[in-house]
Amino acid sequence: MRHIFFTHSIGKYKAIWGWIFVIPALLYFALFSFYPIVNAFYTSTLQQDILSLEPPKFIGLKHYIYLFHSEDFWKSAEATAVFTLGCFIPLVTVSLILAILIHSRGRRFQNFLQMAYFSPAVLSTVVAAVVWLMVFDPRGLANQWLNFVANTPGVNHKWLALSGMARLSTIIVYFWKYVGYFTIIYFAGLANIPGVYYEAAKIDGASSWAQFWHISFPLLKPTTILVSIMAMIQCMRTFSTQYLFTQSGVPTGPINVITLNIYNTAIRDHYIGRASAMSIVLFSIILIFSWFQLKVSKTEKVSYV
Amino acid sequence: MRQIFILVILFLLMAANGLVFTGEKKVEAKQVTLLFWTHEDPNRTPLEEGYIKEFQKKYPNVTIKRVTYPSRKIQEKILTAFAVRKGPDIFNMEINDEYQYIVNARVAPIDPEAAGYQNKQAIYDDYLAGTLDATTYKGDLYGLPLELTNWCLFLNKKYFREAGLDPEKDYPKTWEEMLEVAEKITIREGEIIKRRAFDFRYPYYLISWLPMVQQLGGSFLSEDGKRCAINSEAGMRVLRYMAEWGPNGRNFGSPTYRNARKTFNKDDGSVAMCLSGLYQIARIEAQNPAFYESKQWSVVSFPRFADAVSDNGCNYYGHFYLVNAEKPDYERKTAWSLIAYMLKDPEEYMAKVGLIQPKKSLLVSEVYKNYPYADVFIEDMAKSSPVMLHKNAPKLQELIKEAVESVMLAGMDSKEALERLERKTNEILGE
Repeated sequence: MRHIFFTHSIGKYKAIWGWIFVIPALLYFALFSFYPIVNAFYTSTLQQDILSLEPPKFIGLKHYIYLFHSEDFWKSAEATAVFTLGCFIPLVTVSLILAILIHSRGRRFQNFLQMAYFSPAVLSTVVAAVVWLMVFDPRGLANQWLNFVANTPGVNHKWLALSGMARLSTIIVYFWKYVGYFTIIYFAGLANIPGVYYEAAKIDGASSWAQFWHISFPLLKPTTILVSIMAMIQCMRTFSTQYLFTQSGVPTGPINVITLNIYNTAIRDHYIGRASAMSIVLFSIILIFSWFQLKVSKTEKVSYV
Repeated sequence: MRQIFILVILFLLMAANGLVFTGEKKVEAKQVTLLFWTHEDPNRTPLEEGYIKEFQKKYPNVTIKRVTYPSRKIQEKILTAFAVRKGPDIFNMEINDEYQYIVNARVAPIDPEAAGYQNKQAIYDDYLAGTLDATTYKGDLYGLPLELTNWCLFLNKKYFREAGLDPEKDYPKTWEEMLEVAEKITIREGEIIKRRAFDFRYPYYLISWLPMVQQLGGSFLSEDGKRCAINSEAGMRVLRYMAEWGPNGRNFGSPTYRNARKTFNKDDGSVAMCLSGLYQIARIEAQNPAFYESKQWSVVSFPRFADAVSDNGCNYYGHFYLVNAEKPDYERKTAWSLIAYMLKDPEEYMAKVGLIQPKKSLLVSEVYKNYPYADVFIEDMAKSSPVMLHKNAPKLQELIKEAVESVMLAGMDSKEALERLERKTNEILGE
C-alpha cells in the first residue's frame, strides 16, 4: 500500500514538473500558432475590406467556393506545385550527397565545408534575391556563364522574362540558399551513426556504395523524414524570393505562388477574408502532405542493434 | 448673493478646467506627439526636418516623429498600420493609393482654421483650379498636395550625338519616332542590350501607359466606370506597340532590365532616355553633379502618337498630406497646423527639391520662371488628365501589367491579352 502511494506521489510529482516545463511551449504555440490559425479560419468566413471600419459580413464558406472556381488560385496552386517539386527533390537529394562528401573528408575540411555550405542560409533573403537578380540580369553572370559553356555568344536566355526561366531562377535561388542548411542536418544524422558498423562492413569487404546503401541510408531514415518534411513545408511556404523578383519586374504569373497570392489579395486588394481562406487551404495542403509523408515512412524508429 | 455665489463657483470650476483666460495656453501646453510617415526622398528630408524643428521650437509642447519608407513599401506599411487601427497621424502616398483611405473614412476632412485658412473656399482659392479635386469627396476636402507630378522625357544628349543624331532636333516627338530613334541609339551584343535608348516605367501603367491609349481615343473604363473599355482598337495598338518594343519584338527594352529612371542619373552609357518628373533634376544634381553641370541632358514633352486624337501627355498624380481620422480632435488640428507650416513656401520646395506644389503663388514666382524645364512640365500637365482614381486601382493596374507582360515577354497575341484583361477587369468591377 505504502509502495503504491509512494509510486503515485512520484508520478504526480513528475507530472507536475512535466507540466511546468511544457506549459511555456504550449502557451507559445497557443498564442502564436493555434490562435492565428483559428482566427484565420474565422476571418475566412467573413466578407471584409481590410481598410473598412464597417462590421464584417458573415458569408460562411463562400470564399472557399470562390477559390475552388478561381482560375487565379488554381494557377497559384500550380506555381506552388512546380516550385515545390522543382526545389524539394533536389534539396533532399543534393543535401544528402553533400553531407556524405563532407563526412568523408578530414575534420579540418569538414568544419570549413560545413561553414561554406551553411553561409547562404544565414544571408538575408532580400540580399540573396538582390544578388541573384544581378546574376540573372541580361548583362549578368548567368548569361555570360551559360553562353561561355554552350558557346552561344550574345544569346539572352531571358532568365527573368520567360515563364519557365523565371520559375527556374526562383528555384535556383531557393536551392542555393537552403541546400547548406539541410546538408548540416544530414551531416548531424551521419555523425550519429556508430562507426563500428562501417568498421565491421570494411572487414567484411563491403564497398563504399554498399556501406552507404546498407548502413548509412537505412540509418538515416529519421533524418530523411525530417529533412523531407521540413524542405517540403519550406518550399510550399516560399514567399520572399517570389515577392522580391516580382517587385523587380519579373512577370508575376509564372511565380505567383499561393503565399504571394495571399499577400497580394490581402495587401493590394484588401480582401482579407479571401486571403485568410487561401491561407487555410495552404495550411490544409501542407498538413495533408506532412501526414502522408509520415504515413508512408511508417516508422521513425531506428535501431543500431 | 446666491447668484454671485453660483457665478464664483462656476468661475472657479472653469478656471480649474483652463477655459477662462488660460484657455488657449492650456491647449498649447498639452503635450502632443505626432507620427508622420512619408516616402524616402533624400532631397526633401533636410527641408522637412528643418520645418519640423522650427515648428517644434514654435510649439514646444509638440513632438514630431518623421519616419520615411521606400516609395514602393510605404503603401504596405500604412495599410497594415491602419488595419490594426495604429495608423500614423500624418502620411502621404500617391493619390491613387490614398483614395481608398478617403472612401473608407479613415482620414479626416481638413480643418481650414487649423491650417491657417479662413474657410474651405480660401484653400481652393489658394491652389490652381482642379488640383484639389482628387481629395475632394462628397463635398469635403481631405488633403493638401505635397507635390503634383507629371512625367516628361529626359534625354542624354551625348548618346544622341554618338548615334549621329542632333538632340535638339531629332528627339522623339511621337511614339513612332521613338521606335526609329531607339533603333539608332540602342547598342546590343547579340540579343543582349548594352545601351537602351529608352525604357518605360513598367509598374506605373495607370500613369504612363493608359495615356498612350487615351491619345488614340481609347479609355480603360466606360464613362460610367462600370465596364472595362480597353478592348478597343486603341488598346490593341498600344499593346502591339509594347510587343514590338519588347525582347520578342525589336528588342529595345523589357521590365526585367534595371529601372531606366535610376540608371539615367549615372550617365554610365546604359540608357539614353527615361520618363520622370521635375524632381529628377534635383536628383541628378544631388547624385551626379558632374552630369548635372555638363548640361548634357534636357527635357522634352511626353511623346504622342502621330495620329493621336487627344493631345494628352502623361497622367499626372499627386502626393497629398492626409490626417488620420481616428486621432483626437486636438491632434488632428495640430497635424493640419504642421502640414500648413510645411507647405507655406512652395518656392523653396521647387528650388531645393524640384517639387511642384500647385499654389497660384508658385506660378508667378521667379523661382518657377527660372527653374530649368518647369515650363515643359507645366505645359504638358495642362494638356493632361489626372490619374484614374478607383477603389480597386492597384488591382486594375496589376491586371494591365499582366496583359503587357504577356504580350511583351510571353509572346501572347494582343487580342487574347486584351480579352483576358477585359474579362478580369469586369470581374473586379462586378464585385
